[in-house]
Amino acid sequence: MADAAHVDSPPAEDWTVDELMIAVLASCFSDGDQACNGMASFLPVAAFGLAKLTHAPDLVWLAGAVGLEPRPGPIPASTLEAPLWRDALMYVEQYGDFWTLALNGRWLRKFCVGAAQLDRFGNANNSVIGRDYHAPKVRLPGTAGLADMGSLDKQLYYWNANHNSRSLVAEVDFVSCAGYLGGGDERARLGLSGGPELVVTNLCVLDFEPQSKHMRLHSVHPGVTVEQVLEATGFEPLLPAGGVPTTPEPTAEQVRLIREVIDPHGMRHREFRRR
Amino acid sequence: MQVKQATLAEAASLVADGDVVALQNMATQAAPMAMVRELIRQERRDLGLVCLVGGIALDWLAAAGCMNRFIGNAVSMEQFGLAQRYRRAVEAGRIGMEELSETALLARLGAGARNLPFLPTRGMIGTDLIDINENLEMLDDPFGGPPVVACRALVPDVALVHSHRADRYGNVQYEPTALWPDIGMMPKAARRVVVTTEEIVDSDVLRANPDRTVLPGFMVDAVVEVPWGAHPTSFNPLYGYDAAFHLSWVAAARSDEATGEFLDSYVHGPADHQAYLGAVGGSERMAELARWETG
Repeated sequence: MADAAHVDSPPAEDWTVDELMIAVLASCFSDGDQACNGMASFLPVAAFGLAKLTHAPDLVWLAGAVGLEPRPGPIPASTLEAPLWRDALMYVEQYGDFWTLALNGRWLRKFCVGAAQLDRFGNANNSVIGRDYHAPKVRLPGTAGLADMGSLDKQLYYWNANHNSRSLVAEVDFVSCAGYLGGGDERARLGLSGGPELVVTNLCVLDFEPQSKHMRLHSVHPGVTVEQVLEATGFEPLLPAGGVPTTPEPTAEQVRLIREVIDPHGMRHREFRRR
Repeated sequence: MQVKQATLAEAASLVADGDVVALQNMATQAAPMAMVRELIRQERRDLGLVCLVGGIALDWLAAAGCMNRFIGNAVSMEQFGLAQRYRRAVEAGRIGMEELSETALLARLGAGARNLPFLPTRGMIGTDLIDINENLEMLDDPFGGPPVVACRALVPDVALVHSHRADRYGNVQYEPTALWPDIGMMPKAARRVVVTTEEIVDSDVLRANPDRTVLPGFMVDAVVEVPWGAHPTSFNPLYGYDAAFHLSWVAAARSDEATGEFLDSYVHGPADHQAYLGAVGGSERMAELARWETG
């Protein structure tokens, strides 16, 4: 059940960046949305939990894309194992049912994407590092559901807990999840609607300039400078006219919920390790 | 009904060198690991593996030199990281990887199951996955809508799955749990089906809950009783994944020598499945995993 304490809660005094990122991702999900998660997705899972406990009690969660509305317990060590969907209302058979829901277009209209590389037009790569697919420098895990979600008219929310010039690049080595492709109207010309909306990193929030579809700095987190962001990014993001705002701090109540209720075992910190 | 009950060794003989093998597995979940170990012991070569998300099974098959190609969505042990032996074999060119989106793998297997040349999907449009793959082609909608991606039928030579219970005729049941498509789709698409199961029971036990029967015996070529047969992956609701064991593999996989020693200890060494269970901690450890005490 959502409580009312979050409404007038002041900014937290001792927030950390994981909590700020969770609060930003949570703000992207509303009542009436359905959300799902894949492997190793601690920040999105925490964000769905936070949204449900605060501004979006009617957000529906498909845990691991299989368990409908499980009873919220502390986030376990895996976001793709049975403890995550304990006490679910329904097991949604993953290929037949889940992908039918996702393909239909009426449901699951937003999707959180984590990937090894993300480029200036919001294309993502979880396949290979190096330009030769068949002889890669690094073989990444593989695209799994990302290659579907990128082309299915979803609004995509990227998260990246390790913002650096190797993960945010001018051009991905391999497009395994379609963003705005070459920018401009290229995505639309292929008949695809939706696309990347926001990129939430440990340094800043980025969005996409509506005409060029080029990534644009939306806000920098408190204590982070624009110069730091530019230095850590493998291309030059556009800058908003009239200065770069500061990302709002999470509230004291949001931080309390994350620490005490949603993720008391601190699984979210695992995302910040270098892989 | 024909009796399909077999030993692990007999069932593994239904997998030939060079076969395309559809293997149930979702990262750290539900892989027929006892059968995987038997294939390694029998030194199968040049296998093509088909998985949704291959985990430690793929890392072992790659380390043991049993496979030369993969068709599927991803290979990852999730919280235990990339499958390093598999990954290095791909980087060295010893294993080819046909990477598909989830709906594309569903379409390829679904077309195989239904004897269709292909099924379409709307996934992957705009990605680089289509151009590099001869089994995917853009196709105009004959009814005038936007183009789709045709995914060529995939008919694996054999499907390997693990289940909660079965009778000796190969009728297979699953307990209520998250249902991954492996069990629903791979056996229907494959030419042969090999099932390992936690327990062989009398058919009357199945008749009490026919809604839990997921495969009819006539589709199944062999069924083998292997309790804890998915270890070290999880098999909900019976047992959790073995985190400590996964971590010891991750450590061993860092060097060729330790990899060889690990496979000797747990794959080649134990005389049978009972001996394997003893080597990985015996009934005490299994009782912990049954309580999902995974660490």
